[in-house]
Amino acid sequence: MADPMRIRAQLKGDVTEVRVLMAHVMETGQRKDSAGNVVPAFHIQEVTATWNGKSVLTAQFGPAVSQNPVMNFSFKGGAKGDKVVVSWTDTKGDKRTDEAVIS
Amino acid sequence: MFRLLNAHSTGYDERLRRCATARVRQVHVAVARLASISSRAALCALSTVTLVSAAPIAANLGRAATPAEIRAWDIDVRPDFKGLPPGSGSVSKGQDVWEAKCESCHGAFGESNEVFTPVIGHTTAADIKTGHVAALRGETVPQRTTLMKLSQLSTLWDYINRAMPWNAPKTLTTDEVYAVTAFILNLGDIVPADFVLSDKNIAETQNKLPNRNGITLKHGMWNVGDKPDAQGSGCMKDCKKAAAIISRMPDYARNAHGNLAEQNRIVGAIRGADTSRSAATELALLTKGASSGNGSMANASSSERRGETAAAANAANTAPLKLAQKHACTACHGVNNKLIGPSFTDIHNKYGANSATTLAAKIKAGGSGIWGSIAMPPQAHVPEPEIKAIAEWLAAGKF
Ligand code: HEC
Ligand code: HEC
Repeated sequence: MADPMRIRAQLKGDVTEVRVLMAHVMETGQRKDSAGNVVPAFHIQEVTATWNGKSVLTAQFGPAVSQNPVMNFSFKGGAKGDKVVVSWTDTKGDKRTDEAVIS
Repeated sequence: MFRLLNAHSTGYDERLRRCATARVRQVHVAVARLASISSRAALCALSTVTLVSAAPIAANLGRAATPAEIRAWDIDVRPDFKGLPPGSGSVSKGQDVWEAKCESCHGAFGESNEVFTPVIGHTTAADIKTGHVAALRGETVPQRTTLMKLSQLSTLWDYINRAMPWNAPKTLTTDEVYAVTAFILNLGDIVPADFVLSDKNIAETQNKLPNRNGITLKHGMWNVGDKPDAQGSGCMKDCKKAAAIISRMPDYARNAHGNLAEQNRIVGAIRGADTSRSAATELALLTKGASSGNGSMANASSSERRGETAAAANAANTAPLKLAQKHACTACHGVNNKLIGPSFTDIHNKYGANSATTLAAKIKAGGSGIWGSIAMPPQAHVPEPEIKAIAEWLAAGKF
């Protein structure tokens, strides 16, 4: 199973700012190894985020996204103590879900 | 300047430290007119010797440095933590310090590659067990992050204490340095989120550093008699011919994607060619740089650009420019060229002549997201009238 995400969710005025660091190799499928064989694509495909169970973000990731990607987003509403849950699914079907409390 | 050195050069690091301390002592020695010179001071060789032997001539010059002056200078922390002031700081307080004072340049998770190589990344739980960073050996990781290189926690503490934040060094309190060091270790999964780093537990925390055993002492950098740590393999005969450039982008197309030099980081080895110049000019600069030792093209062109900057400022308008220099605005802004922040010319062109009040407010408050992802730290420490003078100068645009 992949390493946990690091998530920070902070209330700034009436907007919750969320920052996420995901641990993933994010292989593009366009590189060759030293023997000249194509390294197969292997990257995060979909990212979703919920706030108190309600969807606040869905993102499609492709091969152009870097290794160990950092993603920032914000949404209106949210209160200190609320829960933000972030999940991703990669091209092999692996999943990872982590959460943070808004501070 | 002060950079965390890689494992190989730790001997050098330590010698620099000894040298620095000896110099502190040497001022004392020379001024107090003692005749002996400590063996430590001898490591720093020339400067020490000259000063001491010149003592009789300089007999009536200067005065003894006061203990307070020496304390202010002698702030180094050594690998055995000698020199470390007592104090403590938690990971969570460190996060507050990081978000307020470090994140704009190093990224929320220490991952940013924008202003400098990342602080965090590519160390594993296995590395923490062995004390050797596996990623230093393979070729999978193109860069070395701070935590990959770091073999002594004292170096990290000392470096932050003396050099960071980059735009306001020596402004952190002792406890803030402990806290932000703890936070960095937590980002690297070296200590847990509820950890409190202090002078009491820093030595045991040292034993968790991923690269703590990566240090080598058996080389000439550590002991003068030992072998050098680099093996030269310079070619002496039948060498490869120097590469000749046989084709290049035509001048009309060089700048098609904007000036590449301005789109790359201004630190580190990877620079873009200055495509605002013709290829011939660039090549001439490159050759000039190469013939004056190891000066790279990027160095040659950036110092030249700085020259232009100074020349462009006409005499009547040097006062605000001097203010901008005094307050280190020019560390991030060039008059005509983008550095970390936009050029003063671009700022003028964007906001126009009636913008002095707006610009003054922006300078005071800092900001981000208008010119790129790097933030400008608030400049509220600059006195109000001086902010006003700079803002009016930017609005007038007569650089
Ligand atoms: C204005 C931008 C900026 C800010 C703000 C800043 N830094 Fe830096 N930092 C840099 C630059 C540039 C370097 C490289 C300096 C050099 O090598 O001369 C650096 C280097 C470092 C390094 C050494 C990295 C290495 O591997 O050599 C550490 C550790 C560090 N900073 C920590 C911090 C901490 C902690 C803070 C907040 C208290 C901070 N920085 C704030 C720009 C910044
Ligand atoms: C640590 C680097 C740094 C320092 C020091 C710095 N700036 Fe900036 N500055 C930036 C960056 C980065 C931006 C772009 C911010 C953005 O994209 O919103 C910027 C933007 C600006 C802007 C345009 C603001 C806007 O909203 O468009 C002005 C004006 C400015 N700086 C003036 C100054 C002055 C005057 C000083 C010195 C008192 C100064 N800066 C010091 C990095 C810096």
